[in-house]
Amino acid sequence: MVTSNRPVPTIMTTAVRIFELSLGQMLWSRRSVFLAFIAAAPVALAGLIRFATFAEPRLLPQINGERLDGTALFGLMIWLLYVRFIVPVLGMFYGTSLVADEVDDKTITYLFVRPIPRGAVLIGKYLAYFVCTALLILPSVVLVYFLLVPIGGGSIGRSFPLLAVDLGVLAAGIGSYGALFAWVGARLKRPLVVGLVFVFGWEPGVLLFPGYLKRATVAYYLQGLVPHTMPQEGGVNILFQVFQEVPPVPLSLAALAGVTLVGVWLAARATETREYVLEQ
Amino acid sequence: MVIAADHVSKWYGQVIGLNDVTLEVSPGITGLLGPNGAGKSTFMKLITGQLKPSKGTIRVLGEPIWRNPALYYRIGFCPEQDAFYERMTGLEWVSALVRLNGVSGESAMALARQAIEMVDLADAAGKKIGAYSKGMRQRIKMAQALAHEPELLILDEPLAGMDPLARRRTIRMIKDWGRSGRSVIVSSHILHEIESMTSNILLINQGRILAEGNVHQIRDLIDEHPHTVHVKADETRALARALLADADVLSLKFESGALVVQTGRPDAFYSRLTAIAASGEFGAIHEVTSPDDNLQAVFKYLVK
Amino acid sequence: MPIHDQGYRRYGGERAAHGRAWAVIAFAGIRTMLRKRSFLGLLLVAWAPFFVRAVQIYAAANVPQASFLAPTPEMFRDFLAQQSSFVFFIAVYAGSGLIASDRRANALQIYLSKPLSRVEYVFGKLAVLLAFLLLVTWVPAIVLLIVQIVFTGDVSFFVDNIFLFPAITVSAFVQTIAISATMLALSSLSKSSRYVGILYAGVIFFSQAMYGVLYQVTRDSSWAWVSFNANISQVNAFIFRMRPTYETPWPVSLAVLTIVVALSAVILERRVRGVEVVA
Repeated sequence: MVTSNRPVPTIMTTAVRIFELSLGQMLWSRRSVFLAFIAAAPVALAGLIRFATFAEPRLLPQINGERLDGTALFGLMIWLLYVRFIVPVLGMFYGTSLVADEVDDKTITYLFVRPIPRGAVLIGKYLAYFVCTALLILPSVVLVYFLLVPIGGGSIGRSFPLLAVDLGVLAAGIGSYGALFAWVGARLKRPLVVGLVFVFGWEPGVLLFPGYLKRATVAYYLQGLVPHTMPQEGGVNILFQVFQEVPPVPLSLAALAGVTLVGVWLAARATETREYVLEQ
Repeated sequence: MVIAADHVSKWYGQVIGLNDVTLEVSPGITGLLGPNGAGKSTFMKLITGQLKPSKGTIRVLGEPIWRNPALYYRIGFCPEQDAFYERMTGLEWVSALVRLNGVSGESAMALARQAIEMVDLADAAGKKIGAYSKGMRQRIKMAQALAHEPELLILDEPLAGMDPLARRRTIRMIKDWGRSGRSVIVSSHILHEIESMTSNILLINQGRILAEGNVHQIRDLIDEHPHTVHVKADETRALARALLADADVLSLKFESGALVVQTGRPDAFYSRLTAIAASGEFGAIHEVTSPDDNLQAVFKYLVK
Repeated sequence: MPIHDQGYRRYGGERAAHGRAWAVIAFAGIRTMLRKRSFLGLLLVAWAPFFVRAVQIYAAANVPQASFLAPTPEMFRDFLAQQSSFVFFIAVYAGSGLIASDRRANALQIYLSKPLSRVEYVFGKLAVLLAFLLLVTWVPAIVLLIVQIVFTGDVSFFVDNIFLFPAITVSAFVQTIAISATMLALSSLSKSSRYVGILYAGVIFFSQAMYGVLYQVTRDSSWAWVSFNANISQVNAFIFRMRPTYETPWPVSLAVLTIVVALSAVILERRVRGVEVVA
């Protein structure tokens, strides 16, 4: 018989157990079809571009007299697809539902009547989200890299450090967006609306203008880590480029780490104190 | 005391779930009884620490339950809702939950197997829960509640969806559990289920506790409802004439071969009836029963 | 008969003809949404641009210095385009749980056990979302037309731009039908309205992002057919006889929207069933 004098396991021990329980469910759930599609679409697009430029090399546009090469294309995909869309959307998708899914499915009861800290449930699920998302997205990035970089004579070996940095940036993005939305999901009743406004309204809007407001975004700090310079043309874009402020790398790393740790801590705290009333 | 609630109230916005409840639950099997919407689930959620009281305090096994995860080593809870990780097998699910009770992998498997055998699901342990019938799902829920051998078992509608055989086995298991020194709190709105398990009840309605304790004691205390006694005798009319002389007999009715008496003082009435039967003055008295000395009557009288 | 039977009596009144059950579902859905204060707030906020435009029209008609604010047919097209952000949020709020919630509650079996066909069920649900989306697109645009006549005191603008009424109507219906069909199809795919909301946002914004990449690579805006919103914009431009934003021909955009609606119908046909066959 299990005695009651035992101390409660530590948060990390419990989190690991919850992680083991949740990872399989997340990876093999139907929702991962959505994740797989999101991961596959850029690969398909990259394949299409590779095929098209192979058939018609002049397809690639010129900017300021220079034709775009594969490395620039790869940077474009990283920025436009992965950093500005895929990573935030997946962070919102999974982050807001870490505990909410268990509440909707009414399985949260089984976890909350165990001798484990409630916050560990959230942390374990967050770890499962991170691993699940990274396992699907990062290989997709690698495939896109191998498809695009050789275009226009680019070297896979020479550009490899860029890939490594990009993978790190995306992992940092997955971690920080996930943590932020984990907190939003744990605190608010309607986290989806807030998430959508933040990702598709606040971040794109605020990043365009000078000032301090952009520091209240995750994309600003991710921008500081992205190694690619975006090709710019046109008066308006150049003007924006003048105003665009890119934070230094150490600040970006510190901010993203802060967002991740604080987000997860706040989310865990919210889970500890909140009452979950299940629908009858 | 297993549960001690002190002026506990719980409201959800404008709706009161539990209204100023003060009670103590002793060790043993206790039935929590009430109609739908009475507050049973709210009370269950409060004593399992899923909700915090809006007012008052709740102590379970001598300790506050809210945000006290260590207490769950000693508590097992079988919730009402039909919710599982459907893709897992019964054994995987129960052992995963036992592992969360701080038990290592091998031991967790062993405890899970033991619990699954106890609920007669050993044959289906390797099947996915999604393929289980309603009764099997109910039993696997019971298994996860008792796998870690808790001191206190809290069961919310444990017999829902079970077939009659499974019901009997589960009732027997609950009674065995109570006899082994553990405490069980069972909630239900089905009176005869509770009656078959225990005579110790907690009657709740509209967020208030109407009565607690032994069902027969409660019945005795319900003064405004006279007791009905059913007497089968050879000479019912002569017996009726004799009983009518007694001021405690409030009314008499004849049924085929029997007399139905309403009395305000059942103890005195039974004594007199025993004396009459012994004397044989009015022929043989074949049977004496009280159709309303039971939970149904208590429930009917208290829950208006 | 002196003592009347108090037992169960069969309903002896009139019954509505078959085929009207969709209206019951629609009205019930509309009533349910209107009971939510936050949703009413969202609808109110969605009408804010209408009030701004109404003030603009009033100023243009009554303040000579503000005559440059006079309404043009473009203003109505721009108004509908600006409402698209509210359309997005209303579609997510009101539409994501339309079928998903019924699937979660296992209510489909109950619905379809009544004298109600699957088509009526789908149309009833579609009507709920259409009603709210038209309430923030077609209704305010038409009211703006009326406001223009009322504030100017003459019908010359209306007569000179007589195509505006059908243009606003067709444009609003194209937009709302495409969005409603898509949202309803997505809602039938899951039991979680939250997941459906994100799926819908994914469809809209992912297609936009994909177009963005293709445009950056090729510098050719004829790839706009990839983007859901761009297709609606192209069709609207044609309806309002305006210069289109992208190089995609409007029949291509219309074809894409038609395919999306048809695909949604196929998904709904497969998913809206009384029983789910589990292999």
